[in-house]
Amino acid sequence: MTREISVTVNGTVYRKQVPVRLLLVDFIRDVLDLTGTHQGCTYEGVCGACTVQLNGEAVKSCMMLAVQADGQQVTTIEGLARNGVLHPLQKAFKEHHGLQCGFCTSGMIMNAEEFLRTNPRPTEDEIRHALIGNICRCTGYQGIVAAVSAAAEEMSAAGTPAKSGS
Amino acid sequence: MYPASIEQYHRPATVDEARAAYAAAGGEAMYIAGGMSLMQAMKSRVLSCRALIDLSQVSELRGVENSGGRVRIGAMTRYRAVAESRAALGPYQALADAADRVGDRQVRNRGTVGGSLSWNFVVACTPVAALACGASVSILRADGRRESLAIDDFLQGPMTTALSEGDLLLGIEMPVPANPASSAYRKWGVVVDALPTIGVAVFVELASASSCRNARIAVVGLPGGPARTPRAEARLKAADLGDPSSLAACAKAAAEECDTAADPWIGASYKSHLIERLCLEMIGTAVRRARSQMS
Amino acid sequence: MTTVEKGWIGARYTRREDLRLLTGKGQYLADLRVVRDPLVVKFVRSSVAHALIKSIDVSAAAKLPGVVAVLTGADIRDKIRPLPTPSTVPLLPGHYPTHWPLAVERVRFHGEPVAAVVATDKYTAEDAVELVQVEYEDLPPITDPEKALLADSPLVHPDIGTNVMFSMVLTGGLTEAEQAANKARVDSIFATADVVVKERFYGHRCGVMPLETRGAVASFDPEAGLRVWMSTQRPHIDRLVFSELFDIPQNQVQVSAPRDQGGAFGVKAPVYREPIMIVYLTKLLGRPVQWIETREEHLMAVSQERDQIHELELAADKQGRILGLRDRVIADNGDSCEGVFWGFIMPFYGAALVPNAYHIPDCDISITAVATNKSALSPARAFGSLPGRFALDRAIDMLARKVGKDAADVRRMNLITQLPCNIATGVHYDSGNFVGVWDKLVQHIDVPRFRQEQRAARAEGRYIGLGFGVAVHASGVASEALVPMEGQPGYGSATLKMDSSGTVTVFEGDAPQGQGHETTMAQIAAEILGLDPEDVTVRVGDTNNTPFASGTFGARGGSYTASAVAMAAKAIRDKIVKVVAHDHKLEPDPAHFRFEAKSIWHKDRAEALTSMAGVCNRIIMKPLDLPAGADASLEHTAFFEAKEPMMAFSAHAAIVEADPASGEFRILRYISSEDVGRVINPLIVEGQVRGGVVQGLSNAMFEEFIYDENGQQLTSSMENYMLANAADVPNIEILHADTPCEHTPLGTRGMGEGVPGPVPGALCNAICDALEPFGIEIRDLPVRPDRVWALLQAARARAAG
Repeated sequence: MTREISVTVNGTVYRKQVPVRLLLVDFIRDVLDLTGTHQGCTYEGVCGACTVQLNGEAVKSCMMLAVQADGQQVTTIEGLARNGVLHPLQKAFKEHHGLQCGFCTSGMIMNAEEFLRTNPRPTEDEIRHALIGNICRCTGYQGIVAAVSAAAEEMSAAGTPAKSGS
Repeated sequence: MYPASIEQYHRPATVDEARAAYAAAGGEAMYIAGGMSLMQAMKSRVLSCRALIDLSQVSELRGVENSGGRVRIGAMTRYRAVAESRAALGPYQALADAADRVGDRQVRNRGTVGGSLSWNFVVACTPVAALACGASVSILRADGRRESLAIDDFLQGPMTTALSEGDLLLGIEMPVPANPASSAYRKWGVVVDALPTIGVAVFVELASASSCRNARIAVVGLPGGPARTPRAEARLKAADLGDPSSLAACAKAAAEECDTAADPWIGASYKSHLIERLCLEMIGTAVRRARSQMS
Repeated sequence: MTTVEKGWIGARYTRREDLRLLTGKGQYLADLRVVRDPLVVKFVRSSVAHALIKSIDVSAAAKLPGVVAVLTGADIRDKIRPLPTPSTVPLLPGHYPTHWPLAVERVRFHGEPVAAVVATDKYTAEDAVELVQVEYEDLPPITDPEKALLADSPLVHPDIGTNVMFSMVLTGGLTEAEQAANKARVDSIFATADVVVKERFYGHRCGVMPLETRGAVASFDPEAGLRVWMSTQRPHIDRLVFSELFDIPQNQVQVSAPRDQGGAFGVKAPVYREPIMIVYLTKLLGRPVQWIETREEHLMAVSQERDQIHELELAADKQGRILGLRDRVIADNGDSCEGVFWGFIMPFYGAALVPNAYHIPDCDISITAVATNKSALSPARAFGSLPGRFALDRAIDMLARKVGKDAADVRRMNLITQLPCNIATGVHYDSGNFVGVWDKLVQHIDVPRFRQEQRAARAEGRYIGLGFGVAVHASGVASEALVPMEGQPGYGSATLKMDSSGTVTVFEGDAPQGQGHETTMAQIAAEILGLDPEDVTVRVGDTNNTPFASGTFGARGGSYTASAVAMAAKAIRDKIVKVVAHDHKLEPDPAHFRFEAKSIWHKDRAEALTSMAGVCNRIIMKPLDLPAGADASLEHTAFFEAKEPMMAFSAHAAIVEADPASGEFRILRYISSEDVGRVINPLIVEGQVRGGVVQGLSNAMFEEFIYDENGQQLTSSMENYMLANAADVPNIEILHADTPCEHTPLGTRGMGEGVPGPVPGALCNAICDALEPFGIEIRDLPVRPDRVWALLQAARARAAG
């Protein structure tokens, strides 16, 4: 019924005994108390609010069990800013009003961060397609798309090596 | 929603270990691939199990390979990897077309070809693409026998396949035809990249620039799950590929031989219209792709 | 920090809220760790639409380890006072069905709570829900509001004796004689009109669906009282209701909306069953209790609005000038059990706004809200008005075709030009410049040029079209309107406190959910007091430290609450002037003083008289030698009540390309021209417009709650209740044609509420315009390619036959 797992979250190794059926999102939120990862749909894995990165790749943490992350690297929104310096995406979301209620924002950014590593100079169309897995109800997406685009430009201009999410 | 209680979790590294874990669980085990469908079913308590066997670390089941005249895709190959393997897929571009538009980025990062085929959801992209590609499905039976089945025999209706309790899908493979060949898939949904209301996959092997040696057409979005359209295939094989009316007749035939049914969003006759339109478009794409190999 | 030249109000100032939300430090309801180890509640919900409850067997569930309690309607009916209660009933002549948090004896919609399971954790609670066995005796489901009006229809509420929950004639006057006279006048206009358009329109059931669901956490201590944290737009109303239901004095009830809420758009405004149950359970069990709604629950129980049939008629002259309007509105009210709104408040208000921005003095408008076995309508942005906007704006395009004119010209000719005015339903429009906003839109588009392009495109076999929609929408609702409609006040309120270091805290009893009040209210206080917004902290949503407020809804923030903040800041400013003038032996005329750069300046002095920190410290900490009548307080609570109800106006245009072969359409451009009064923060206004337009598009094209003929709800997951994603929608162009509002101290208006309203009309008008050569007219929402295609097929068949 329970199992000990060891998961590296935002660079810290957590060793915990968890029920096998515990969802990864609940492990992150309830066990580790990292509440920046949100739950918007609870069942189908459609809303994308719970998106985190597993070994640097965007995944919906409600669609996995915590035990499946055993021995793996997880990055959440809390792990994105380094030493208090915001990631270009975080800065761009603020600058371009890419959030209102903020509930979708963590998942949106964790998906976009990986997307920009795979496609550092995306077109608007590519950005919009990349964000299909993240529903936003407030912004109409325009500010989000503008923010991702601006962050891509900033990172390319700065020659920021696309940093691995984990 | 949360899964019912699960006693054991295993993450084998090899197929043999996976089978051993399954056997040890005494019949109340489930294999989990990417989990994009299975987790939904577990969370809504449609399915539950005593032991969950996670195939994600079984590396021998991963990868797209084109060698010795065959294209092989391991069951645990993720959509993302399929979509990124267009070169290796050769004539089987329809599988990349499908993988590229399954769900969303997050789903493509987890979901697998084998998972989708085993689940065989009534409206899914991979089974219909594999059907048009004429894949052979490699199965490891629970008793250890290896078997290869034509995809047409493997897919047996919505949520039903030739897999029995304890069987493991190893992968699919397709021969590389001697002649220029290619395939294409496109779906139509209510929102962009939604589950297909209708999806059409077409495979062609050319005899010449204007004729087919072989053709397969498969449609998804029908109540009975993905299905081939034999009459349309026969017409396409006989068609003059340079004659638009000839191709239009194929597409029309495909629409006519599919029994569409309304769903809560889209009416039956529009689905027929979509079949016709997508079929014509996919014939065009597949032929164009195949012709590009002639020179 | 943003630097500004002209002051903080109007500045494109990035939000104060963002940093925490961008780093995962937001504190939404489910993130709060305010109570220790709360028990978790899950609801068992009805699997059928209409039935008598024969039995509920909770024994297996109750025995499960970790389960603390399982309660059914029978357990609570004598323990909890049912709704309605005095503070949950509007002063309108409707039926207000008695109901408890759990179904008693019968269920009335698929998804109604029938039992509550309390357990030590959510996984166990869900295990227990699976074990509760409910036996139903089916009753005939009532799913069609028009059939529900027939004499032999079964009843949703047999004790009420009718399925008509509310009906009203909104035009002519209050007496039947007045209404009959009005009707006769309108009839005679129709009898002699050159042109009549008579159509039936349908705006389908859809809503808003915030990404954060509902939820509540409660604890009770006989001494300390009741403490509730909940995702709500109206914490003060919730406090009132809990006090009333559970006989706890109001000052022993504290309701807090979390600082961060994941959207609401209206749906978190009503008094619903579940939070009442949570309060009851924490009192009963003596332990903290938590309920976080699942998405499936949300889609089954709430977020469902619109759902109106409009039988709408226009009478016009040959020029297209509208002479009269008739509209018979039928709203599918669902089970009608919903505190404060009861389903019909939205369609009632929507019916009152039917004439929209058009000058139509002679109207005959009535509304009938009908109970069915569905979820009660719950408020959604555009509050009841979306189907009516769609109906009238579509009818005007049909009228334009009949009189052979461009729909843009017919609209322009019929726009209201004289403001203020009362429209035929008695709704008051205060001020603005509708024509100015409109002209800005059509000039931006350059309609004649578009028509040229359209002709050229058609010659190439491409079909592009232009469509318009307009909306006059409430910019907050004054007490004058809100008291009759909801039994509640509409004033805005805020408390400002300055501290001895010269910084400010604003307390507002509203509960924003993404509107950015921490930014805009700070901008206002900063501007008036010569501070930076960084010097202003805004606290929201806690009934213990904020003045009574009716909540964040209906675009109240930019109008009422912003005005109260301005008034409170102004009062503190005046007081500071008095003290500074006294200290410097100057005349205490506020006009002589400037508050700038955190200091106070006098018109005749080059140097600042004092810093804000200095004078605040002097008043609060050294209250010696104060001018006569002044005390040490630098705190002020202001209540703002508008002299007149205020309205905002927007005009929308969609340009689409449609494919006559497939019925598919693509939005090429979407433009909104807005009059929102003086803008506090353009970034936030534009965000509201873009988000609102996309909600309107999502409503129009994708979102739809579908019930089958048995009343089974088929759309309780987000895979089935489809929402627009980023790839489904265009960028939105925004034009500002803002005229300062005369009735607020800053000239601001609230503007978020109404934005989705004109969207479906604009979109469908554009599609019909694009396909005009084929002669199709869209009358029903949602609009999807298959429906356009079916209309095209029918038109072709007509043409052929």
